[in-house]
Amino acid sequence: MTAPTDRDLLAVHRSEAAVSVELVTPEMTLNIGPQHPSTHGVLRLVATIAGERLEKVQPVMGYMHRGYEKLAEVRTYAQINALVNRIDWVSGFANEVPFILAAERLMGVEAPERAQYIRLILTEMYRISNHLIFLCSFPAELGAPTPLMYALRERERVLDLVEGVTGGRFHPNFNRIGGVKPAAGGGSTQRTRSQDLSQGFIDGTRRAMAAVRAVCDDLEGLVLGNEIVQQRTVGIGVLPAETAIEYAVSGPNLRASGVPFDLRRVEDYLPYDRFDFDVVTMPNGDNYDRCRVRLEEIRQSARIIEQALGSLPGGPLQAKVPRVIKVPRGECYVRAENPKGEMGYHIVSGGGRRPYRVKIRSASFCNLAVLPWLLEGALIPDVIAILGSLDFVLGDVDR
Amino acid sequence: MSEPEAPGAAPAPEAPAPEAPPSAAARWAALAGSSEFSDAFRTAKVRVPRERWVEAHRALKPHLPFFGWLSAVDWSNEVAVGDPVEGGPVEERYEVLSRLSDVTAGEAVILSTDLPPDDLRLPSLTAVYTAADWHEREAADMFGIVFAGHPNPVRIYLTDEFVGHPLRKSYPLLAREVKPWPGAVEVTPLPAAEPAPGESGEGSG
Amino acid sequence: MSLLDNVWVVLALKLGIAVVVVFAVALVIMFAELKVSAHMQHRVGPYFAGGRWGWAQVFAEALKFLQKEDLTPRDADRPVFRLAPMVSLLATFAVIVIIPLSPKLVAVDLDLGIFYALAAGSVSTIAILMAGWSSGSKYSLIGGLRAGAQLIAYELPLVLAVVGVVIQAGTMSMVGITEAQAQPLFHLGSVGISLPYVLAGQIVGFVIFMIAVLAELVRIPFDMPIAEQELVMGYLTEYSGIRFTMFLLGEYAGMLAMSAIAAVLFLGGYHFWGLNADWFGPFVLLGKALLLVFVMIWFRWTWPRLREDQLQSLAWRWLVPLGLANIAVTAVLKVVL
Repeated sequence: MTAPTDRDLLAVHRSEAAVSVELVTPEMTLNIGPQHPSTHGVLRLVATIAGERLEKVQPVMGYMHRGYEKLAEVRTYAQINALVNRIDWVSGFANEVPFILAAERLMGVEAPERAQYIRLILTEMYRISNHLIFLCSFPAELGAPTPLMYALRERERVLDLVEGVTGGRFHPNFNRIGGVKPAAGGGSTQRTRSQDLSQGFIDGTRRAMAAVRAVCDDLEGLVLGNEIVQQRTVGIGVLPAETAIEYAVSGPNLRASGVPFDLRRVEDYLPYDRFDFDVVTMPNGDNYDRCRVRLEEIRQSARIIEQALGSLPGGPLQAKVPRVIKVPRGECYVRAENPKGEMGYHIVSGGGRRPYRVKIRSASFCNLAVLPWLLEGALIPDVIAILGSLDFVLGDVDR
Repeated sequence: MSEPEAPGAAPAPEAPAPEAPPSAAARWAALAGSSEFSDAFRTAKVRVPRERWVEAHRALKPHLPFFGWLSAVDWSNEVAVGDPVEGGPVEERYEVLSRLSDVTAGEAVILSTDLPPDDLRLPSLTAVYTAADWHEREAADMFGIVFAGHPNPVRIYLTDEFVGHPLRKSYPLLAREVKPWPGAVEVTPLPAAEPAPGESGEGSG
Repeated sequence: MSLLDNVWVVLALKLGIAVVVVFAVALVIMFAELKVSAHMQHRVGPYFAGGRWGWAQVFAEALKFLQKEDLTPRDADRPVFRLAPMVSLLATFAVIVIIPLSPKLVAVDLDLGIFYALAAGSVSTIAILMAGWSSGSKYSLIGGLRAGAQLIAYELPLVLAVVGVVIQAGTMSMVGITEAQAQPLFHLGSVGISLPYVLAGQIVGFVIFMIAVLAELVRIPFDMPIAEQELVMGYLTEYSGIRFTMFLLGEYAGMLAMSAIAAVLFLGGYHFWGLNADWFGPFVLLGKALLLVFVMIWFRWTWPRLREDQLQSLAWRWLVPLGLANIAVTAVLKVVL
């Protein structure tokens, strides 16, 4: 204990304050994280605070870096697929889709229509699951733990359905190059059993969507309608559209700032153009709007799923692909509207069974870059609220 | 599938002549002041020389305000991990890629530039695109590229004591050297070959 | 009866009973919080410990806490750090002794009863400041300072709300205030109708009092000094084992004490229409207090937390002026009627 502790420094400050009569608030460095109840994992914020006000913040990452881009270079495409759905573990399946699409594009393979519909349905189900997680954790960050249980209960229904199809809840690993895996319970060893969606899936999904809509109505009234929630969120953490674009914020956070940009509309990666849905935008870009955008997106996703179930085409789940997947030389970037924003993979193939290089563009990493700008001058409680409203996952930040 | 761009050779500009309207890549290349572009796999890519790196971005910014990402590829013939590029040696270099897009119609382009392995300096884009900040720090960490003029050139992922640049091809994957990954099975084609039973889709409709 | 004439024997007896009863009720409140919160969240709550309804859960948890190592951080101010939980508990007990359970069953009937209660109750502020300062942790320090600011801000509306009652009752004695509420307010025929103060003019005072009590007890929506999501556990961050349990018990005993005071001041204390106060008084009072405790738990699991500055503006811009207005109106009515 040779170095002066903060206590010593504080004592010095106090004696100085007593001498100079004028009381000053000494600046203090506060380490928020990497172990902290509300940094969503191992994010660390080195904050300089004066009293309750945050003067400056420096996010520190890398505590969870798993080197996926390096690992991808030693694995085959099918193996990478199991890796990438661990990037943003809250929306695992949605991570697989752009990767598989990029590999398919390089190979010149296109998945059959039924497989594409199933991909779309599962992506939207993970979007609902992700946004429900947001809607349960965000009020908890404001100090209200109860909405958590309400939202998680409905998310459980969604995950149960996903499990029924894919056999996994968080990490389905359900995509294959050229289509999707035969559904759970099937597979090559049990050829007599159904290899497709179970009969109960469609009815169960319809029921789950109704339940999800109901819980959205509940949460809208109980959380967004709550006066204290409004006091804590309206006008807090305002992210103007220009700044959002400048910092490359994407996804619901961008739409909450009033930019009607949704990759489901502009990129033709899954047959979204056949369905009727709204791109939800909000005008103000504050915490409240970021919350509200996600609530509305759950409803839109439910809409898409219901339409897709109604027009689910028949046919095979898998296109003809060679047994040994070799991707020809070339490179391409495919991006998709992940629940958290733009997620994309830039695959550089050297022509072999393993990619030469995979660049993972994850939404949370880019969305988090705006944090120092957004947090400047915020109060500590608002820091936590703003942090929560950006909806990031550390696995998605560090990769 | 058309002839993919050969990463090794300098990409021959794919003649856009047959199509009546110029391809997206051609338009962006014209704006960026470059004549090397490719549209392979629906990924517009424009190659700019290192000296014009910042200028090209500045020229494109009014059209493509959204900075998607920045990264690099280590083109190397001797790789410590993974497979080398098939079909002959490549020109050894670091290729820096940056992805720009708009936020209305989904137009996008990837700009790329080459750095010789012995001189990994590149002017920073942070003055043009604020969002390049963290991406450049990441590329500096992972590839050792020095971004001149970066406002905060500190490490983003790696600890200060870390030696090496993990995403370089010369950097070994130590865990795999200590213990070979059990998942690294060599798949041999079945005698009966096509079509493989498990992999072909047989949806019951 | 000679034994009961000895003042020390009586004192020991009273204290023993008070401690046992308070601990027992505090455990009941802890259990209620577990169960009530569970049912508000579609959960079952404790289920296994003790067989039915998991009734033994709180005992199991208390035992678990007792087993835990009693850690003192290296940078802590040791004596202060170790003293703080005891001060907190002591402050609560000091309040509880003056609560009259029935016309006869009262540990001490001070003439300045309510004044003493508020003074003793604010000692817990010092305990929190001690804990926050001595922990040697920045989160604790921020929590302690927040608590200091918060308790200063809310002591004022608390006192102002009480002043209205004191004016109306004309006494500061807890028994006196209770008895004043039993006086017939008006007569229906020959039957005198008495009303507790919450129905007889002090509704505003009651609301202010309850809001201020929530803030004093550091309960949601005013739990910024603990604010788990922001400050980890605020001033409790570094506490473990038995000292943490003491703070926890202090919190629940404090809920009981403040609710009981509110019951005495505004809800008629041990009186209930048609029930003999001598016999049923303790149960009536306890029932009223537990009802208020339930309301506090209900709030806890329904609302998010306010921000520190919003808390301050609520106190200074709304509660203090309202409390002053309440006093003025009460005084005028007292003179006029």
